[in-house]
Amino acid sequence: MREGSVTDVPSAPVMMAVALARLLRDGETVFHGVASPLPMVAILLAKRLHAPNLVYLNITGSVNPQPEQLPVSTVDPALLRGTRTLVTLADLFDLSARGRLDTVFLSGVQIDGLGRINMSAIGDFHQPKVRLPGGAGSAALMPTARRTILWRTKHDRRTFVEQLDFVTASGNVDRVVTPLCVFARREGWLEVESVHPGVELDALREATGFPITVDERTPRTPPPSPDELTALAEIDPVRVIESEF
Amino acid sequence: MQDKLISLSEAISSIADGSRVALGGNTLHRGPCAAVHEIVRQSKRGLEIVKTAGAYDVDLLAATGCASAVAAGFIGFETVFGLAPSYRRAVEQGRVQVKEHACYTVIAGLRAAIQGVPFMPVAGLTGSDVPRVTGFHTIADPYTGQEVVVVPALQPDVAILHVQEADREGNGRIIGTHFEDVLMAKAARRVILTAERIVDGAEFEAAPETVAIPGFLVEAVVEAPSGAWPCSCAGYYDYDADYLRAYVEASKDERSLQKFVDERILAGSPVAVGA
Repeated sequence: MREGSVTDVPSAPVMMAVALARLLRDGETVFHGVASPLPMVAILLAKRLHAPNLVYLNITGSVNPQPEQLPVSTVDPALLRGTRTLVTLADLFDLSARGRLDTVFLSGVQIDGLGRINMSAIGDFHQPKVRLPGGAGSAALMPTARRTILWRTKHDRRTFVEQLDFVTASGNVDRVVTPLCVFARREGWLEVESVHPGVELDALREATGFPITVDERTPRTPPPSPDELTALAEIDPVRVIESEF
Repeated sequence: MQDKLISLSEAISSIADGSRVALGGNTLHRGPCAAVHEIVRQSKRGLEIVKTAGAYDVDLLAATGCASAVAAGFIGFETVFGLAPSYRRAVEQGRVQVKEHACYTVIAGLRAAIQGVPFMPVAGLTGSDVPRVTGFHTIADPYTGQEVVVVPALQPDVAILHVQEADREGNGRIIGTHFEDVLMAKAARRVILTAERIVDGAEFEAAPETVAIPGFLVEAVVEAPSGAWPCSCAGYYDYDADYLRAYVEASKDERSLQKFVDERILAGSPVAVGA
């Protein structure tokens, strides 16, 4: 597989959606926020495949929605379809605050080796070179949710950095999924758990701004199975996940 | 019955420069955009905008010099159109001060205002630079000694909320997600409601539990069909991707943005493409 032909290599959006879905467990309570097409698709994929009892929560306040057409905005009223109750965003933060949210999906423009994120500013916070959108709920959720799964569609040295310009949020990061690999956080630090098919180890080392250890013994992420690909095509026929790239 | 129905320009003219203004809705959805356009037309200055997650509304108020501070968790056009161009420029040039929040700290500040207490403890925020730059203190729980971050009460001078249905007394029905609108209505000193439709209040008697905004908290009601446009309004319309794309495109430089604002906003009521 490591030497597989080019045609065997899944696209980054597909590999990331599948890798994110595999991290989710049946019966757990999972939340994503704004600007989160990949988590939205990953949650729906996990529910279809191995986690039918996962409780899917999002900012619209719907619970286990069954959207007919997937929106690009992940706060869209399209995510209300099929819900049988409605909670508020405050309810969702409260859920996390009292330790009842199992998994939250978050992202960072910069991510450091401790799995902390910067979503606020590049350069000095008070005189930024680039003002970023802000961390949304991350500063409150990352320390209180039982685990955080980070995803980021760029994997380069400007993203995976030795030093954050600003710490927007810090907390219970479990995994980080990128176009190149899956990181697991062990004893506080991000370590490469698996390298995606077709990714050169040197390219991964080169693209990561903090020290990582990878060699030929580092596991490869299993490529998407036929079942995963079929389910993904049914859930996301227009490839909303590609909007993040 | 007190009839609170007034014109949009009258409602907005009641807002003083320098006010703290909470805007309902979330990112591309049910923002009170007709009211925001009127704020731009009336050239309000020095506003502090409060919102958990904003997009076009906050970006436009930053672009036009109406806003000088923003207290929010997120300002951006999500994955749809990316960073908020004018908000970004205004912050980078020092024209808009960022009061960096997590969305939950906005909620906590509103809750403190609602409950009439000076501050609210908030779980989380450990290891984050947000409390330091925004000035949130950490105190010891007087019962256990454990440290907790506390957020000061965040009382808007006025909350502007766009709802699908309102009666002339100010009772308001929100279809779909409430976002932080109900909290804002309770926390603010004054509330301005804009509504897709003005309905006979007797219609609400059949299901008052679906009417989340109590009229006695509301000072003014404005009939504003398409009042969330170009945001979405659940049950009525989707967000206007063509208009928003044109706005973001025009925002790349200040001259093209000024032209866009002159033609599409200052010239009168902006009209949805194809509407």
